[in-house]
Amino acid sequence: MGVIEEVFTIDLPVGENFRIQRCRYTSPNAKVENEKRISIVSGIHGDELEGQYLCFLLGEWLRTNSEKIRGVIDIYPAINSLGLDSISRSIPFYDVDLNRAFPGSKNDFLPAQIADGVVNAMRGSDLAIDIHSSNVFLREIPQVRIAKSQEETLVPLANLLNIDFVWVHDAVTVLESTFAHAMNTIGTKTLVVEMGVGMRLGKAYGHQLLDGLLNLMAHEGILDIEPLDVRFPIQSHVGEVAYLNASVPGLFVPVIEHCQMVAIGEVVGHIVSALSGEVLDEVIAPIGGILFTLRAYPIVYEGSLVGRIFGEHQ
Amino acid sequence: MKRFDIVTLESPNRAPLRIEGFLFGEENSKGASIAIVGAMSGDHINQLYVASGLVEYLRIKEEEGKIIGKILIIPAVNAYALNMGEKNWPLDKTDLNMMFPGYHQGETTQRIAARLFDTLKGYKYGVILEGRRDQGMCLPYVKLIKSGYEDLECVKDLGISFIHYRPYEPIETAMLQYNWQLWETKAFSIVFGKNGAIDHNDSDEVHTSLVRFLSKRGLLEHTVFEGRTSNIIDPHNMTLLKASRAGIFISKIRCDTHVEKGEKLGKIIDALTGKRVEDIIAPCEGIVTCQYSHPLIFQNSIAFRIASIE
Repeated sequence: MGVIEEVFTIDLPVGENFRIQRCRYTSPNAKVENEKRISIVSGIHGDELEGQYLCFLLGEWLRTNSEKIRGVIDIYPAINSLGLDSISRSIPFYDVDLNRAFPGSKNDFLPAQIADGVVNAMRGSDLAIDIHSSNVFLREIPQVRIAKSQEETLVPLANLLNIDFVWVHDAVTVLESTFAHAMNTIGTKTLVVEMGVGMRLGKAYGHQLLDGLLNLMAHEGILDIEPLDVRFPIQSHVGEVAYLNASVPGLFVPVIEHCQMVAIGEVVGHIVSALSGEVLDEVIAPIGGILFTLRAYPIVYEGSLVGRIFGEHQ
Repeated sequence: MKRFDIVTLESPNRAPLRIEGFLFGEENSKGASIAIVGAMSGDHINQLYVASGLVEYLRIKEEEGKIIGKILIIPAVNAYALNMGEKNWPLDKTDLNMMFPGYHQGETTQRIAARLFDTLKGYKYGVILEGRRDQGMCLPYVKLIKSGYEDLECVKDLGISFIHYRPYEPIETAMLQYNWQLWETKAFSIVFGKNGAIDHNDSDEVHTSLVRFLSKRGLLEHTVFEGRTSNIIDPHNMTLLKASRAGIFISKIRCDTHVEKGEKLGKIIDALTGKRVEDIIAPCEGIVTCQYSHPLIFQNSIAFRIASIE
């Protein structure tokens, strides 16, 4: 049975407090400080719910397999608890993206104080898994995104997670204000998982990642179980990512399902005008490969991302 | 005055977005040039007010033949947000001032930033009228980040009391000031007021300081009073007073007030019982540069900022 703890609290103006809770699972009779520790994190963005389901699945598994635990497993299902309960991606009141406020500070506004509280709660974790659901606009296959500078350390861990794709990207300075960067900087190996779409649950992805998490914890000695037989993800360095951006504003209507293979030149979708009844543009695949990102929210402006294709080098 | 569209962007259903510019002086002038950018967020009403007021002021000065250089004013970048009470880009909620230098093949707000930045490049001076990121209000100050390309001396010509001169944060590398400086424009921000409102005193001060800058930097033929001597401050000069309790926040003072150590600056009342739960006392002498502006305050929010010399 996990122990529910409050790791950060701050009084709100009218008879309520903002709080971040975790559920901690430990091996019986072990000293916490000597154990390997992993933090499972969800809800940094209030409109992303896939991580909450994963937290439930993991908690359910741990409750029935508590004798297998050999480390400390902390589950943080709701970092932006105000946002989760009000469909707000950012921190309400301030309208600030929490994942651009790390590492945070005690001497700054509320979002920065929350970020500081999160970092301090997880300080000392050996591993952290930060689960995101893209946003309300895009649907993603389960993937881990890793900054180039962290490639050597993190890719071997990501390969254990039963995900479909590992995307190593160039470092962007602005991403230094993310949770993952803050935690990696203080020595917690932190993986960012993106899967599904905002405001919705895709049960299959939750179960897929649960297997990956159990496998990772088996490899790390946090669970006393046999490693699982998981899929090996596509590695981004073996190919290229093509971005499909809308050329005109309108209503994007896909003709291909998410996560399908497309051929070069194939029509991915149409952008249509609801007013005139015209098809304004065809979105054409510039390369062949897997359509790993597909727009879920149909209204588009010029430039709106409608899809991403990963194609292997020929 | 030449009024023109810098960026136009069609929308799926609403009227097109237009980012309009107002150009004064000769377009190919060999004299100095300056671009002043107003509201990039939908709650930067003060910034919109100052920028549009400057358009009217310069229109008259141009008729009088007083414009020497080339002056571009862009009162509203994010008109879509201003027109519907949003802070950020209404569809995807991205902050336009986090999209620079922009990307012509990127997402919508990256494209808007790229097109805007194409116009802004090449100006000798660049001014960004900014609001605050938090729930505060402040007296006008200059925010100048140390990119390695900044020009502290020119900023002093504004005659604004405080210049906050500090290293940049990672998040600021995607903002206009940083990128504008990298493209060799002497860029700085003037931060002032309270988001979503107009403070006439602050707006007048910023307007006057901009006119002073234009005059001193050879863009406008106009005699001005000298401004204040600027104090260069960094975070070490600032004392933060936090609310140890949450509730209803009552301030007793206004920004720009000189306070003594031990002076009562405000109080917090329990929002349900009405009982006073905290008095906020100045721990040092100094000038209150900023204070919390919403009537409801969170625990540990910064209630006041005091600038001190020591």
